[in-house]
Amino acid sequence: MTTENLLEIKNLRVTFRLGKNERFEALQGVNYVIPKNSVVALVGESGSGKSVSAMAIMDLLPRANTEIPADSGMVFEGTDLLKQTEKQRRDLCGKHISMIFQDPMTSLNPVYRVGDQIVEVLRLHKPLSKNEAKKRAVELLREVGIPDPETRINSYPHEMSGGQQQRVMIAMAIACEPKLLIADEPTTALDVTIQKQIIELLMKLKQSHGMSVLFITHDLELVREIADHVVVMHRGVIKEQGPAESVFTAPKDPYTRALLACRPTIDKRPIRLPIVEDFLQGREHELPQGERSRGVSPADPIILQVNNLKKTFRVKQGLFSHKEVAAVKDVSFKLARGKTLGIVGESGSGKTTLGKTILRLNSCEGGEVIYNNKNLMGLSDREFQPYKRQLQIIFQNPYASLNPRFTVGDILLEPMRVHGIHDTDKDRADHAIQLLRRVGLDEKAFHKYPHEFSGGQRQRISIARCLSMKPEILVCDESVSALDVSVQAQVLNLLQELQDEYGMSYLFISHDLSVVKYISDEVLVMHHGEMVEYANSDELYREPKHAYTQKLLAAIPGR
Amino acid sequence: MTQQQASYGFWRAAGKRLWADKLARFCMAVLVVYFLVAGAAGMGWVAKDWNEEVGVSYANPSFLGDDYPNPQGKNSIISQDVLVIDEKQKAVDPLAPYYEEIEKNAAAYEKAEVKPSWTLLLGGDKWGRDVLDKVIKAGQVSISIGLASALLAVFIGTVLGALGGYFGGKLGDLLEWFYNIFTSVPYILLVLAFAAVFGKGVSTVILVLGFVGWTGTYRLIRAEYIKQRGRDYVMAANAIGASHGRKMFVHILPNVSHLILVQLSQLVVDFIKAEVILSFLGLGVPTDSVSWGIMINEVMPELVLGKWWQLATVAVVMSTFVVSFGLFTDLLRDALDPKASRR
Amino acid sequence: MSTYLLRRIWQMIPTLAGVMLLVFFLFNVFGGDPAAILAGKVASKEKIDAIREQLGLNAPIWVQLWIFVKQVFTFDFGASWSTNEAVSAIILQKAPVSLTVMLQVWLLDAIVAVTLAVAVAYKRGSFTDRAVMGICTAAMSISLLLYVVVGQWLLAYKLEWFPVLGWSDDFWTNVSTYAPLPILLLLFVSIAPSLRLYRSFVVEETGQDYARTARAKGASEHRVMFVHVLRNAAVPIVTNLALALPGLFVGSFLIEMVFSIPGLGKEIVNAVQRSDFPVIKAITVYLAMFAMAVNLLVDVLYKRLDPRVELK
Repeated sequence: MTTENLLEIKNLRVTFRLGKNERFEALQGVNYVIPKNSVVALVGESGSGKSVSAMAIMDLLPRANTEIPADSGMVFEGTDLLKQTEKQRRDLCGKHISMIFQDPMTSLNPVYRVGDQIVEVLRLHKPLSKNEAKKRAVELLREVGIPDPETRINSYPHEMSGGQQQRVMIAMAIACEPKLLIADEPTTALDVTIQKQIIELLMKLKQSHGMSVLFITHDLELVREIADHVVVMHRGVIKEQGPAESVFTAPKDPYTRALLACRPTIDKRPIRLPIVEDFLQGREHELPQGERSRGVSPADPIILQVNNLKKTFRVKQGLFSHKEVAAVKDVSFKLARGKTLGIVGESGSGKTTLGKTILRLNSCEGGEVIYNNKNLMGLSDREFQPYKRQLQIIFQNPYASLNPRFTVGDILLEPMRVHGIHDTDKDRADHAIQLLRRVGLDEKAFHKYPHEFSGGQRQRISIARCLSMKPEILVCDESVSALDVSVQAQVLNLLQELQDEYGMSYLFISHDLSVVKYISDEVLVMHHGEMVEYANSDELYREPKHAYTQKLLAAIPGR
Repeated sequence: MTQQQASYGFWRAAGKRLWADKLARFCMAVLVVYFLVAGAAGMGWVAKDWNEEVGVSYANPSFLGDDYPNPQGKNSIISQDVLVIDEKQKAVDPLAPYYEEIEKNAAAYEKAEVKPSWTLLLGGDKWGRDVLDKVIKAGQVSISIGLASALLAVFIGTVLGALGGYFGGKLGDLLEWFYNIFTSVPYILLVLAFAAVFGKGVSTVILVLGFVGWTGTYRLIRAEYIKQRGRDYVMAANAIGASHGRKMFVHILPNVSHLILVQLSQLVVDFIKAEVILSFLGLGVPTDSVSWGIMINEVMPELVLGKWWQLATVAVVMSTFVVSFGLFTDLLRDALDPKASRR
Repeated sequence: MSTYLLRRIWQMIPTLAGVMLLVFFLFNVFGGDPAAILAGKVASKEKIDAIREQLGLNAPIWVQLWIFVKQVFTFDFGASWSTNEAVSAIILQKAPVSLTVMLQVWLLDAIVAVTLAVAVAYKRGSFTDRAVMGICTAAMSISLLLYVVVGQWLLAYKLEWFPVLGWSDDFWTNVSTYAPLPILLLLFVSIAPSLRLYRSFVVEETGQDYARTARAKGASEHRVMFVHVLRNAAVPIVTNLALALPGLFVGSFLIEMVFSIPGLGKEIVNAVQRSDFPVIKAITVYLAMFAMAVNLLVDVLYKRLDPRVELK
């Protein structure tokens, strides 16, 4: 590795003009360097400015309302990019610096064949004939691991899987042998097994092409093995940067330590997850020590029993016929009182459908769900109504699960009114305010609307809504997946406290194996609608029996 | 209980956004004036006598004065020589003894009749009717038709769209069938076909426009209900145990109400324009009544005679209203739906 | 593909049946007895009796419906009640006249509106963009009627740039002499809403991720706009243009009335005024059929333009 720097970011400030007098300083004087032939990881939560700095390098920020002051500098191989013309910078893009994005599906042009999209970038920067460029495109597709590239070159993006689309994006990015590849959350939209493959591919290409990679991510663990240099950002400033080893083993900044600590890992299960405040307020030594032991024994009372549950969707096919597509095939499990069953699987595994079917939010095509000696699937809508308050759900997207036209008060009172809990609205409101306090919100929240809250706070409101009915079973459908790591820890802690306090049972659905390991007593692994493995969580993580489970576990980053 | 925090619900926030816009405030002021005048005309407080002959045919607008070259105006009148009847004639006239009586009767009659004036504030039409009164009355008719038919169309479209979008299934298919039928015939042809069968009249125009014009609202609301139906907050309401009615009207309706309002506002403009054209073609408001369309229908021969004031009046009055309403609709859409607004 | 076409045609049957039912009930049931309608419009009693016979008014309603269905599929609606001409002859004679004017409007509107839309979307947010949009809103709001009345008076009567009205039997005379003013006036009205719509389509696409990718590839802003964005915006624009086709046959009935152009639009208005039901019925049903065919065409076109669309 040479010591020469490829790109030096000097005191970079970026300000967005939002309204007439409104400004937002997204980057407040950022300095970092990208040495030649190295991997620099830029890590931070949402709003940290990590993507803004990448977009600034590519000149992709909207010129109309972006301000970069003159004392900022971006020196690429000795020339200051900020002093170049728009055209010069655009010519650099794709040629010397290229970029891949989070969502490959929308990032590829849907109406052109993938081959043509690769040919375009080749011919923009190199004097190649159409045929030469096409030949090169086939080679590139082969290099990024697309099988049968001669045929696939004629595919449209939507005909490929997410992982393949991202491979095409990578082929496009490396087509002109760039010196720097910027990868902005390149695996966040992908399943963990695919994520692993894409990262391995990027590292292989980095070696063979001798380029540098700027890897932007919210997940520190993801870059533990690949980064040479780590830059941790928070709200537009750099909190810490240095060689990867020192950042991971001896982090100096409390925020970095917090980021490393509050993400659940599969080898530890603390009583309570540390949160960012613990570190920023210097309480990190007061954290409770010891681990929580988990697991279900045959003696534990069973609250919910699911037998051979089936769910199929009808898809139109041909002139008059329909095709049945199974989303959930033959799933059986027992949920013990006061325990958590984690359901893991990748996208399309049927885990969310399973949760909704148990709650009768979907129809069900076979099997039974036994609660209180009653098969819930066999009840009429009217008979099922009183059971609804016993089984509740918290959704993934905290922005969509609260009615935007209701105040928080309305949201909390509605279930109590529907189920006739308390006699007067006054009593209900008092109860609602108690619940708000319980989930850690101010009572002033009662009169506010959902849009005035952050994602984590909204999830707390959703939890309060469920609590208002005192359910016995709570389905958490990817409930913490959309949250930043620091917020995720807080919500997970809250869920655990509530379980300890009220003795609720959780069905915890998630794609995130570390989180599931942390919170679950038992784990059920789903793949293509089938349950492939079901065991106590310690046992399953220690010695996975099914090949798919093994593959999943091997793909966990930082392992 | 906690005290009310300065917390803006959707409508207050949208209202504030709208009010912050100078152009929106101006448009609203214009519209309020029109609605007040139309209301007053509807109550019979103004423009009650729009159908009376208050001026001479094609009376000049006041600001032109009464000597503006006008074929039927004052200065071009063939002077009526007053027949002076002297004693000699009286002697041979067999009616002479009755002159006094005749004149008395004539005087009595003349008192009852208002002397047509040579000029009117904004001029007169062929029958000497006051253009100002006429345009006010016409405005009342056109605006009420626009409002009533838009309300009808939006009501039908919303109810059907909500049912079709929320329930789907067989009911949804049936409503889609209905929609397909209505949209496979070009809109204006369908209006004419209905008009051909149901004849003329203000209420017919309202019914025809309403019954033919619901399709756009239906499409929009149906799509919106399908979208909202799958949203997590509706799913959560379902998990709570809220009834279908509650989900449809308490949960989803407030989330699409802004679209309904914009749609209503848009349709008022569209239907006023449609009424104008229908009436112009003689298929809308009957000619013994008046509307902006009927007024424009009358101006074509007038223009050839150089009588431009009725056209100018109705053009300015109508365009001001429709342009203000159109701009207001746009601004309303921007304020209610900032994401979908023109970027 | 052929399965798809077959299924779509199969699905059209209920819609077509619905349109026929609607027209049948509208005119034969709500429309009432032609004797009452035509009183004073058609002189002879024998003729009214003949009409009653032809419609089967003395037979039960399902026989009347059957007669109507037969009329539709044999292209024989009989003769016009007022002119006695065969309805099919009227349609065949008038439709080309409307098309002479409207096809030109359609084409010019597409060219001008798309060009301007791309231009203002390119400069979105600028003063020019806002000004053009403002003018469009104002222009859209003013009634077509005012444009026509004022335009005819000013450009033809006062300035004598165009003939005031008229039509001839010669195609080229029509195109060169009589059609230009109506076309000009219709364009005034139609461009503003098209422009706004197309601009919104283009602007919508400029915000998509793939446009960002194209920039990251080093494509010039021109290339991003014309190669990437416009190709995607073409999908809704072309759809929109195709869907406007059935309306062309009706022409703008207003403009045909004012300029005395003997097209389908004028024919319809006259038929409505004279309660000439066979003419209205025939035109309505056939235009609905045509519209359905165009819808099918649009879907197939959609597939050609957007590879994501699957014809199932």
